[in-house]
Amino acid sequence: MSAITTSLAEYRHQLKSNRWGLWLFFLSEAFMFGGLLTSRFYLWGDTRPPLDQNLGFIVTVVLLLSSFFMNRAETAIAHDDRKNFQLNLIITAVLGIAFLVGVVGFEWQGEVRPTDGAYGAVLYGMTGMHALHVLSGLIFIMIVFFNGRKGHYSAERHWGVEACAVWWHYVDLVWVFFYPALYLMGTVIHP
Amino acid sequence: MTQQEKKAAAFRQGIIVLIVLAALTAGEFFVARSLNGPVAILFIFAIFKAAPIMQYFMHISSLWSEEEGH
Repeated sequence: MSAITTSLAEYRHQLKSNRWGLWLFFLSEAFMFGGLLTSRFYLWGDTRPPLDQNLGFIVTVVLLLSSFFMNRAETAIAHDDRKNFQLNLIITAVLGIAFLVGVVGFEWQGEVRPTDGAYGAVLYGMTGMHALHVLSGLIFIMIVFFNGRKGHYSAERHWGVEACAVWWHYVDLVWVFFYPALYLMGTVIHP
Repeated sequence: MTQQEKKAAAFRQGIIVLIVLAALTAGEFFVARSLNGPVAILFIFAIFKAAPIMQYFMHISSLWSEEEGH
């Protein structure tokens, strides 16, 4: 039975399971991201490679802003405001692309190379895995955007939007811990 | 409260969360610059940033609440 034909009561009951399923998936992902974070402290200790702290700050602000606009998109559809929903979703995607450009286009062209031993391995492992999740979030946003244009979501039924928004915030949440670990903690060492 | 007022209140809450996150991000940046990257203090900043994201953006409390969602 499709989500369209189920009653609102059934839909709401299913929603609870959907949310738990998504959060259990986050938990499994947290083990991977936690492993990467642990490897940073094990291999780098109280040092860090010479990354551009200003660039790190800018991409972090960009990702936080994208989370803010994603929250606005979700709030808009929860109140049947389709125009604001579409607009905020597009702004989120643009900011997500800007974040990717900042990390992959600029940081990866910096002084540290993937072949620079533990520094290169950890830096590219952490930023690469995170960037992959940002990319998947962008694809998710595009799917939700086009489904929204077809009128698939309403104030009562928009689990797709909620899942996309929570996924995007999760990616932001991971960066909240990765950013200081990569850019701020410890003293600079030139590998 | 009308639907319009509820939406305005939700948007306002998002702005407040953004301001808190921006202030904490700026704070950790300046602490790292001036104190040479103290790990424990920066972790505390990260936890204080993670909490509002999980509560207000990711709606973690909706997992336990009896309130019917969307």
